[in-house]
Amino acid sequence: MAIEKILKDDASEEKGERARMASFVGAIAITDLVKTTLGPKGMDKILQSTGRGNEVTVTNDGATILKSLHIDNPAAKVLIDISKVQDDEVGDGTTSVVVLAGELLREAEKLVAAKIHPMTIISGYRMAAECARNALLQRVVDNKENAEKFKSDLMKIAMTTLSSKILSQDKEHFAQLAVDAVMRLKGSTNLEAIQIIKKPGGSLKDSFLDEGFILDKKIGLGQPKRIENAKILVANTAMDTDKVKIYGARVCVDSMSKVAEIEGAEKEKMREKVKKILGHGINCFVNRQLIYNFPEELFADAGILAIEHADFDGIERLALVTGGEIASTFDNPESVKLGHCKLIEEIMIGEDKLIHFSGVEMGQACTIVLRGASHHVLDEAERSLHDALCVLSQTVNDTRVLLGGGWPEMVMAKEVDELARKTPGKKSHAIEAFSRALVAIPTIIADNAGLDSADLVAKLRAEHHKEGCNAGIDVISGSVGDMAELGISEAFKVKQAVLLSATEAAEMILRVDEIITCAPRKREDRM
Amino acid sequence: MAAVTAAQPRSSKTESYVDNKRKEDIRHANINAARAVADAVRTSLGPKGMDKMISTANGEVIITNDGATILNKMEVLQPAAKMLVDLSKSQDSAAGDGTTTVVVIAGALLKQCLTLLSNGIHPTVISDSLHKASIKAVDVLTAMAVPLELSDHESLIKSASTSLNSKVVSQYSTLLAPLAVDSVLSVVDPAKPDMVDLRDIKIVKKLGGTVDDTQLVKGLVFDKKASHAAGGPTRMENAKIAVIQFQISPPKTDIEQSIVVSDYTQMDRILKEERNYILGMIKKIKATGCNVLLIQKSILRDAVTDLSLHYLAKAKIMVVKDVEREDIEFITKTLNCLPIANIEHFRVEKLGHADLVEEVSLGDGKIVKVTGIKDMGRTTTVLVRGSNQLVLDEAERSLHDALCVVRCLVSKRFLIAGGGAPEIELSRQLGAWSKVLHGMEGYCVRSFAEALEVVPYTLAENAGLNPIAVVTELRNRHAQGEINAGINVRKGQITNILEENVVQPLLVSTSAITLATECVRMILKIDDIVNVR
Repeated sequence: MAIEKILKDDASEEKGERARMASFVGAIAITDLVKTTLGPKGMDKILQSTGRGNEVTVTNDGATILKSLHIDNPAAKVLIDISKVQDDEVGDGTTSVVVLAGELLREAEKLVAAKIHPMTIISGYRMAAECARNALLQRVVDNKENAEKFKSDLMKIAMTTLSSKILSQDKEHFAQLAVDAVMRLKGSTNLEAIQIIKKPGGSLKDSFLDEGFILDKKIGLGQPKRIENAKILVANTAMDTDKVKIYGARVCVDSMSKVAEIEGAEKEKMREKVKKILGHGINCFVNRQLIYNFPEELFADAGILAIEHADFDGIERLALVTGGEIASTFDNPESVKLGHCKLIEEIMIGEDKLIHFSGVEMGQACTIVLRGASHHVLDEAERSLHDALCVLSQTVNDTRVLLGGGWPEMVMAKEVDELARKTPGKKSHAIEAFSRALVAIPTIIADNAGLDSADLVAKLRAEHHKEGCNAGIDVISGSVGDMAELGISEAFKVKQAVLLSATEAAEMILRVDEIITCAPRKREDRM
Repeated sequence: MAAVTAAQPRSSKTESYVDNKRKEDIRHANINAARAVADAVRTSLGPKGMDKMISTANGEVIITNDGATILNKMEVLQPAAKMLVDLSKSQDSAAGDGTTTVVVIAGALLKQCLTLLSNGIHPTVISDSLHKASIKAVDVLTAMAVPLELSDHESLIKSASTSLNSKVVSQYSTLLAPLAVDSVLSVVDPAKPDMVDLRDIKIVKKLGGTVDDTQLVKGLVFDKKASHAAGGPTRMENAKIAVIQFQISPPKTDIEQSIVVSDYTQMDRILKEERNYILGMIKKIKATGCNVLLIQKSILRDAVTDLSLHYLAKAKIMVVKDVEREDIEFITKTLNCLPIANIEHFRVEKLGHADLVEEVSLGDGKIVKVTGIKDMGRTTTVLVRGSNQLVLDEAERSLHDALCVVRCLVSKRFLIAGGGAPEIELSRQLGAWSKVLHGMEGYCVRSFAEALEVVPYTLAENAGLNPIAVVTELRNRHAQGEINAGINVRKGQITNILEENVVQPLLVSTSAITLATECVRMILKIDDIVNVR
């Protein structure tokens, strides 16, 4: 008897063991791909685009690598998703989260092979995660009250984050930059107020933090290059011509002079518009769209600084930091909020001239100007700095801090191990497996640094058997060291997010026992 | 893809072994690709370096000695090789010269790294040691450097000619070097003495003549004819120049327009009106005393018509049309005038003044020269001549390098010897330093020191000397304390290179070392190539 087909042609179905195997393989492959980027001595990857231009990106950032991969394996996609979420939520630990989830799955695979039901494994993992989190909570340090100490905590976190990136050689410089920038934000996590401008040339050390706002545009011809106490009107309006935007509108006249009249009228309209803009009592006008020669000259005659073609991003930021509003009609000057700043001037960075707005209304705003040898370096530096900024801004809100260098993992592993000993039944196997997965992180860090991981991790475990120990892996000297002395810290929020989302992702993948691949949508034949 | 190779990891022991193998392969592939690029440009290093002929995809032929240009046109695909191309671009933007040197040094460093890697040293250890070595190298170079005053014309010219000596146009270096120095010095703003904006130096290329005829023009040069369709003037003394951004042609509205002609008499009227309209404009222009018009190119409508040219010619106004919008800023800065966007704003105070505006015929074409500008802005124009397009282009590139060299000297006023002297001295001092370092670091620094010998080695090789004999003798002389001993390529022997006037800016050497190191470190740290969308 022929079984009716349930699924469409080309759709496939994988069941039970096979399905689970497929997801394990996919997830573990992803983990293996990114795990070499973990830790201060992690390696970089070249991302070669197969699209147009064959662009090349060199990066160490887990989220960036994963984001751009072609993936066909559903379980692998889940891991990529959690890395993205981690990037959005806390900004750092994007590699750790994938590695931990992958290790959890690797352990689960062995348990499944030993005929332990996935549900049992899941409940064991859950208990272990809860226990691990509590273990961390007990050991967090919170220096909220002590501003001095908190600042040094921030410095340490920034340096730890940066040490695994391209900026590691100048990490003190950049950590200082990042901390200064985040401290200016005064608790808000709105990273938009921190603008990062990349300018090739010079070396990474020449990067600097600037109070105020820098716009990468040119000042119009014949206009003042320096304005004090500027009143800024930020606008998005057509300064080329005010066209009648009805299709097919045309003028029919019967003589040349009338054409000239109309042309004159058009000019007059523009002059009116400029006059209205001038009526706002401004001395700086920033437009998103082009400013044609004619209005540009009018502005120059009025001694007003006009900047054309500032992009969307540029004017929005500018409106934000100067406290103005983006205007598009100019009929009632009273209702338009103007932006203010103390000084506008032209500055030169490298070979380019930029416009610098200092003393802006919104004190939080600042600009970080990155300098570097090439675009690769600059792009990677921006990604790294962004990570650091994200972590710092999160830490300002949640001031709990942990030590780094594999320390939190060892603390968690120890507690989880204890739990396993107390727990009766098959679950204890799962809990033990969880602890092994946690230990995998310091192992990978040591491996990446070319150290003897088995030896180091065993030493670390022995150290951690003592109460209140601060031991972690000191990658630089290649031995077990005191993390508190070395000043390696991590934000609690990052670690917690890594732990919880990795467990959840592993759990989700474990629950799967069937993969149904839908038939790909048929393309029209375009022969 | 990677997923396939890493499938089914059974035990972690075997899996990591397979993975490492792949990573090593990738690293080797990267290093080899990058070295291939470096080898390609190696022979163009130095005064006796050879040129490369590049035939581009669209059939154009370029002959050049400029590393950045060669690499740029090579269209490499391998990602690591691409990074080397970018490296030379960075050197170009940072220092402007030494674009070949930087790639050659990077290639030599990579070669050493390959040996270090095969000895089992971890890439990050190598990378960190290289960084340390490069910092030390910059210190050594700075200690060797000789400070320079901007008033010291001699030294500036010397360093510009060192840069020019390795180019096709080397026989003209006596002409081009002072020219480059003069043009850079004339645009230095006394208020900001460290800043030179090379955009203030305009290079105009004109085919015909020889490179000998290249000249510095205190004023403006347009690679355009004056319009003399209607017999307008081509020479104007005591010129009053207006830069206009509007058009002298029949009116056109922004909205689509059409003129409806219903009978014969109207046609006549329309023609007359058009004439009157243009005449009106020209009268206004004439009223201000303006006698030279520079008209911006317009895509919307004709900038001038035959009719308006005719009237302008009658009014004895010289016209240069089709000026690009980008050039307007340079022109107004030079002429110290303001652009005029509307006939209504045509006022005397917006005009620029010059003693002479004239059309000069050069070779097959004509140019317009503006000289004797009153209150001229800090800009300069260099008119480059050459007997064919290839020479012309190469002359421009060489001149650009020379300008960059002078600019480097303005922003960082130190000179250093050329001819391989700094490299061999670096190699010697770093070699000595490596002996006091411990462990792997010392080993890596020694490799760094050895890699630097590639510059004198290649210089000698390209000059047809025996590289090994030259480098060993050079080493010997430096060990005896002659830190300025270098290869004198012309005499084919080793002399005190400072006395031979072979000097280069410190910035070129330091940036070559730091950029090359940074690039090598980046290549070392890569362990996988991932194909992405």
